[in-house]
Amino acid sequence: MKKNLKWKIGLVLAIIGLSIFLIYPPKNKIKLGLDLKGGTHLLLQVMTDDAINAETDQQIARFEDLFKKNNITYTKAAKENPGRFYFEGTNADQEGKIRDLIDQYTRDWDYSFTGDRVTFRLKQAAENFLRDQAVTQTLETIRNRIDQFGVAEPIIQKQGADRIVVELPGIDDPERVKNLIKVTAVLEFKLVKAGPAQDEQTLLQEFGGKVPDDAEIVKGDPKRGYQGYYLVSKVASITGKDLRTVRRGTDEWNNPAVHFSLTPDGARRFEQVTGQNVGKQLAIILDGKLQSAPVINSRISDSGIIQGHFTPQEADDLVVILKAGALPAGIKYLEERTVGPTLGSDSIRQGLFAGLVAIFAVMAFMIFYYRLSGVNAIVALILNELIIFGAMGYFKATFTLPGIAGIILGIGMAVDANILIFERIKEELALGKNVASAINAGFSRAFSAIFDSNLTTIISAIFLFQFGTGPIKGYAVTLICGLVANLFTAVFVSRLIFDLFVPINAKRLSI
Amino acid sequence: MRIFKKTTNIDFLKYKWIALGLTLVIILVGILNITLGHGLKMGVDFGEGTLIRIEFKNPISVSAIRKQLSDVGLGNSIIQELGKEGREFQIRTIETKSTRNKAQEIESHQVLATKVIEALQSKEDQQKVAQGLIDLNNIDRKGLIALLTEAFPDKGEELANRIVDFRTKQGLITDLNQLKQSPEVSLPDEVLTFLQKKTFLGEMIVLSKETVGPQAGKELRKKATQAVIWSLIAMLVYIAFRFKGVEYGTSAIFTLAQDVLIALSIYSFTNREINLPIIAAFLTIVGYSINDTIVVFDRIRELQKTMRKEPLEKIMNASLNINLTRTIFTSGTVFLSVLSLFLFGGKVINDFAFVMLIGSIEGVYSTIFMSCPVVLFWNSLFKNKKKVRK
Repeated sequence: MKKNLKWKIGLVLAIIGLSIFLIYPPKNKIKLGLDLKGGTHLLLQVMTDDAINAETDQQIARFEDLFKKNNITYTKAAKENPGRFYFEGTNADQEGKIRDLIDQYTRDWDYSFTGDRVTFRLKQAAENFLRDQAVTQTLETIRNRIDQFGVAEPIIQKQGADRIVVELPGIDDPERVKNLIKVTAVLEFKLVKAGPAQDEQTLLQEFGGKVPDDAEIVKGDPKRGYQGYYLVSKVASITGKDLRTVRRGTDEWNNPAVHFSLTPDGARRFEQVTGQNVGKQLAIILDGKLQSAPVINSRISDSGIIQGHFTPQEADDLVVILKAGALPAGIKYLEERTVGPTLGSDSIRQGLFAGLVAIFAVMAFMIFYYRLSGVNAIVALILNELIIFGAMGYFKATFTLPGIAGIILGIGMAVDANILIFERIKEELALGKNVASAINAGFSRAFSAIFDSNLTTIISAIFLFQFGTGPIKGYAVTLICGLVANLFTAVFVSRLIFDLFVPINAKRLSI
Repeated sequence: MRIFKKTTNIDFLKYKWIALGLTLVIILVGILNITLGHGLKMGVDFGEGTLIRIEFKNPISVSAIRKQLSDVGLGNSIIQELGKEGREFQIRTIETKSTRNKAQEIESHQVLATKVIEALQSKEDQQKVAQGLIDLNNIDRKGLIALLTEAFPDKGEELANRIVDFRTKQGLITDLNQLKQSPEVSLPDEVLTFLQKKTFLGEMIVLSKETVGPQAGKELRKKATQAVIWSLIAMLVYIAFRFKGVEYGTSAIFTLAQDVLIALSIYSFTNREINLPIIAAFLTIVGYSINDTIVVFDRIRELQKTMRKEPLEKIMNASLNINLTRTIFTSGTVFLSVLSLFLFGGKVINDFAFVMLIGSIEGVYSTIFMSCPVVLFWNSLFKNKKKVRK
């Protein structure tokens, strides 16, 4: 045996061994995409404008407060658009004082004076930070909610600037999870000043038809059995942030309800509010809708109960969202795909069968046309498939249905290189060259075309990978793996097989 | 063995005008069909409606489904039978102008989808649910485990898992006795009696439901177009670089653009929709069908050294003839595997396989009849003067 054949054989055996190691046992190593194992894929967009808006409102309130405390006069404070607000009617004499005050309290806002107006603009860097933070917080909250709900191996990832991909394998009730993810879940406890009333006019009668400065109107949630309008205090006594523990329990009539306890700080405030307002109603408001308005019977300190005609499932879901916290910004669904497990297992079965038919058809053709050399190509083909699976295992890549299609397509493409080489060898033999030098010439002359053609297909597969979503990426990956492996199997391995089995002085070649 | 006894000697370039004419006719007819006629149908991936796959317990006809959908004003939905003896169907909702304009959001799609599913649910099933019976075909694994462990604490979970696995593999359960007879489940009689009392077998299940909102659909459309165009440009640059000549790069682009356009033209005459896998197929055609062309160009370059005195046209014909078997066989093996995918791969991937089938046949045609003539045209346009001077 020639010396350099030994290391070549060693290399091939090593790669075979490595590939088997990487994919064995297949049950654990092969990751199936949602289209094969069933599940729900959601793409959602975080409305980061909400975060900017909230920040702007907060700043206005903060500076109104600061201006008042420092005796700075103004007539009006208003938001122009998210990230931009102004104070009007300021006194020119106080400009210096205002400047000092702003510089002292914020670096995130640019400001400018025009006449009696000072305009605040959110700096770009601060804005980017806020948007980014909103997405990250939303992602964390969603992750919390899904973990609380209990989904095995969810994937929750940021995509682009403001998108989040959520993949939930094996979910049977996607609608429930979707709603669970989407609710903003801002919980507020506010004192009721008036209500309920049929409409806003009736509600405001005793206030002269105008909403008092320290109050706002909320609507009852019909799902919770509350109709009509309520007037509640603007400032929340406690919010969802003050909750320490939340769990599902029952109320005194044994209906599902949500029990909660408060943090020490929240408890102190709650105690104060309930102590001073015994006999009044306290509104429990979730996402701007009144859930219930129990009467305060006595001073409550650190625990309470939310009731309101919940089904057990609704109570469970409320516990989940309260535990996970509120979303910092609203979200919008852009894409939703749900595949049931039956369809997935059908796809696997059909894909496998199509793959087997393809590989046997191609093998039959190669043996029929190229005889023993065809066997060589088949060995290379099988090795090629093995390496694809090994590489998929190594990259922890996901098998999708298009991915299976890519592998099947790759079966047809893999033997192309063999065909080019064998045809070239035939050509050289026809020119009267002996077997050894014909093989030699066949491999070396066909190589550049094989390399070029594999590379062009890889290039377009890379573009595909760039643009594609999950399943299509799976296709691009199997295709690329197949083509790279092909350069090795069809050229290197196939050559090695000829070197091993065709004697150097062979008179004929079965091709 | 050889498919052709000797190397053929066909004057392919003689047919260049016919080939060019044929190509132009196909593309023109396709473009007319796309712009004025039948049009290209965009699928759910590009923000058009919702795609729902449904399996029924009993065979049902497309017209029966359409009637049920017409009753709720969705008679215009696209309904296709997927097999399983008339029990499996694919339904795509069509957005009417009013629903589309009202809400540019995904919710408007989903309202229609929910309506479709509700319309197809049988009245009897709804009554049974109202009576408190549980639909064994639709209950989830967790739910069934809970139901069975309550009645059979020691073996409930295992039985529930076996039933759900069986259902996953077989699709809808049509008869409770299946659960007893199947060796994988072999349900004991007492459990069977329990299930008979507490559950019923629903008439249909939803196999999958896919919606892409208009915004994401629009973005995908843009990205898909860009990906195709950029990969064409990448091919142009690569080929021009490898064969040291703009004429070869240009030819590659024309051949590929022709491949894509012909495939698109033929596709426009089918009832198939454009979805992401179709774009994947187009990109694959771009990357793959250039291979044959590369092999031919490679040979031209090689022969230019040995046949120096001969005119380019003769060299090209020789290259095409020498490579004829290769061109046909390489595409042929791809055709074989794609054919298998087309015939056995299932409905979900069928459109993809169809485009690849067209691509693999038509790649041969474009290599033989288009690649070389374009180089000649280019040369006669831009390189005449040089040759005269020589």
